[in-house]
Amino acid sequence: MGPPPPTVALPGTAQLPLAVALPGTAQLLPLAVAVPLLGAVLLVVAGRWLPRPARDALTMVCAAAELACLALLWARTDDGRAVSWMGGWGPPGGSPAHGSQSVGIVLVADRLGIGMALLVTVLTVAVLAYSWRYFDEPVGEHGGVFPALLLLFAAGMCGFALTGDLFDAFVFFELMGAVAYALTGYRIEDPRPLHGALAFGIVNSLAAYGSLLGIGLLYARTGQLGLAQLGQALDTRPPDLLVVCGFVLVLAGPLVKAAAAPFHFWLPDAHAVAPSPVCMLLSGVMVELGVYGTARIYWVAFAGPGGVPAHAFRDTVLVLGAVTALTGAVMCWQQRHLKRMLAFSTIGHIGLFLVGVALLTPEGLVGTAVYVAGHAGVKAALFGLCGLLLDQYGSVDEHGLHGRARELALPGALFAVGGLALAGLPPFGTGLGKSLAEEAGGRYLPGLLPALFVVVSAVTGGAVLRAWLRVFRGAGPTPGDRPGEPETSGEGEEPEVHSPSRRLPAPLTAVPAALLLGALVIGAAPSVGRQLAQAARLFTDRVGYLAAAYQGPVPPAPQPVPASDWTVSGALLGLLSAALAVALALLAVHFVHRGPGAALNRRLVLPLRRLHSGLVGDYVTWLAVGLAALLVAFVAQR
Amino acid sequence: MSRRVRLLLLAGAGLVIAVVFAAGCAELPPFGSPDHPYGERAVAAALARHTANVVSSVNFDQRAFDTLGEESILFASVLGTVIVLRPARDEDRQEPEPARVLPSTRLFGALLLPVTLLTGGYLVAHGQLSPGGGFQGGVVLATGLHLAYVAADYLALRQVRPLAVLDVADALAAGAFSVLGLVGLVAGAAFLSNTLPLGTFNTLSSGGLVPVINAVVGVEVASGVIVLLAQFLDQAVEVVDR
Repeated sequence: MGPPPPTVALPGTAQLPLAVALPGTAQLLPLAVAVPLLGAVLLVVAGRWLPRPARDALTMVCAAAELACLALLWARTDDGRAVSWMGGWGPPGGSPAHGSQSVGIVLVADRLGIGMALLVTVLTVAVLAYSWRYFDEPVGEHGGVFPALLLLFAAGMCGFALTGDLFDAFVFFELMGAVAYALTGYRIEDPRPLHGALAFGIVNSLAAYGSLLGIGLLYARTGQLGLAQLGQALDTRPPDLLVVCGFVLVLAGPLVKAAAAPFHFWLPDAHAVAPSPVCMLLSGVMVELGVYGTARIYWVAFAGPGGVPAHAFRDTVLVLGAVTALTGAVMCWQQRHLKRMLAFSTIGHIGLFLVGVALLTPEGLVGTAVYVAGHAGVKAALFGLCGLLLDQYGSVDEHGLHGRARELALPGALFAVGGLALAGLPPFGTGLGKSLAEEAGGRYLPGLLPALFVVVSAVTGGAVLRAWLRVFRGAGPTPGDRPGEPETSGEGEEPEVHSPSRRLPAPLTAVPAALLLGALVIGAAPSVGRQLAQAARLFTDRVGYLAAAYQGPVPPAPQPVPASDWTVSGALLGLLSAALAVALALLAVHFVHRGPGAALNRRLVLPLRRLHSGLVGDYVTWLAVGLAALLVAFVAQR
Repeated sequence: MSRRVRLLLLAGAGLVIAVVFAAGCAELPPFGSPDHPYGERAVAAALARHTANVVSSVNFDQRAFDTLGEESILFASVLGTVIVLRPARDEDRQEPEPARVLPSTRLFGALLLPVTLLTGGYLVAHGQLSPGGGFQGGVVLATGLHLAYVAADYLALRQVRPLAVLDVADALAAGAFSVLGLVGLVAGAAFLSNTLPLGTFNTLSSGGLVPVINAVVGVEVASGVIVLLAQFLDQAVEVVDR
């Protein structure tokens, strides 16, 4: 049996005059993983001798090569999928009919997958530019290790986004995990990063064991590991307990990575202590990859008659998303440690993304895709600005910094814009994504789901604006301590640089500005939304995915391309949540802790805050409780 | 959450998970059934590529891309450990004292060290033929070297452990895997394609790309694990608080 030569199943690529010099589309897929891996090796070897500027330049060249590779892939893929069988182990004889007989691994990229990989790479470039003048990186024999880890992180995330194989996805999931734990614990002089990294590592590793158990169950049943092959094999018989159990266990990994409640406890602990540039990647794209993985695994492997019923997935994940969104929003409002505040805001938005995915419609998916892209720009910019505060004042405490950052005019303006964009102000990408997802949600649960989107984005945006009013404007009285309440102040943080109060390096302002501009373009340029809308239609076309993976003729997608333009109601709701956010922030700053709110706070919010105890044992317990609840929910709706 | 509540919650949730998992496992294909969908295909594919050890064929040929990810995890873990255990501002290094060891123990170590290393090397070299391979042999090589520490002292280990060289070897071997993948692309085939001559079945040179990737992984695992252990041993033996 000779393996078939890799073919490019895409129309119109061969005619490109450049195609002679550039790698073929099928070759670009493995290159997207191999380029950053090789870059990391180069940096580790050459980093021992190269001076810092040369090292930074070399890292930038590697990231730019990765960016070029993915941009080319995006351009070539168009409204189709790029497919590449590793090692040439495609369907025996090259016949699509024998697709399920393959022993190999397939990479399948549509524009949602490539888009996630592009997001990873763009943020990596932003982080490299940001850390250019930020860190005192170790020198000598460990010179290139930090940028090498960043490139390995990118390789893991790109591999996860592009693979069409369940076990391969698990491998890349572990790769990004291993790197992320180390990057979280990067600042070794302070015991807190170590604690955050440990909680992160333990909870994520336990969930990974769950995923592996689930993969084992499904493999024992079907003898398949590829998502397409697995889905096809499952569809040959009605689903039973094994399938349900396998499904929930497999999802344990992605859901913990996505920080869905009650799997979210690790995230604020890790984000509060990781270096700010690392937070940009963790919050901007790694967490979102958990949502992406959940959606991909469900759509390809479990959306058929032998998988998990659509109503069960929809209702369960909707509840999961709503609980996550509300938990994130409430906890976000309670924080005075700015990085913890942003971390909980990420949890709130992850809840909204899960709701968008749970709708199981192309409309919900395109909303989520635009939202994720916009959120990545905004959240990364805000983390960058927190890093700037740490650099200048050695603190990220909303109370302790009261009025101290008045002198920083431009960073202050950016912080305010970030808060408004987080609340969904048109025409930012967050606003467009929110509006599209709201509309899709309103068709399933009118009133309720749009209200959830408005409330969660208003509260998280409001918390950021409140911090802006206090820190950058000095508004309101200096808040006193709240004795008896469990809280983490942002005082006494090690500055991430050696000499705080030095002159402000330009990238610390320029990179957040560029990221916010990117978030604006995503919402304001109609072509971005349109391309993501095509991608969302393709993502939900399971028959087409299977045909493409086996390199057979792909039937046209049955559903129409969902709408992706601004609507009047969407824009108005965006304005509404932005206005609500401003009102909440003003109220909080000028009327601190008065009226009946305090009683409500004591009854409802305080117990929720106590749950976020920082104890790894508690987090593991919640992981087990969440898994048990999901198992019961899916078994009951079988 | 009090200790009692936590234990109760964990026990309850664990019970639910265990019951559903057990019920799921009851639906597995019966033990000893003749139906092995992947196994049959993998064995046929391994034999077609002249690879006697089917596990190595799966690891280094049929699903070599997974292995590329896995050895990248090892590479990343080594780098991560190096960065997290790097000397902190408030730490100093102290030269370890020579330890007093019985001459017979020292002799035992000196005799056994080459034997263990040879065993490790054998396990790596025959990975394409018999059980073993780059991962297993690499770990034997790495741990075998630490006989020098067990049978003598830390100074002896440092003499047989050229860390700077191993550090670079670890990285280069990790990179070599990707380069071997690119060879397939350059040859006009797929990434990680087995385009080398397949050789005679059940000889050392059989399997085409399999023994090459196997050897590269052996070097990476051996040097990676030594560097990894060195970080922890340094913390235990050499590094003291200032």
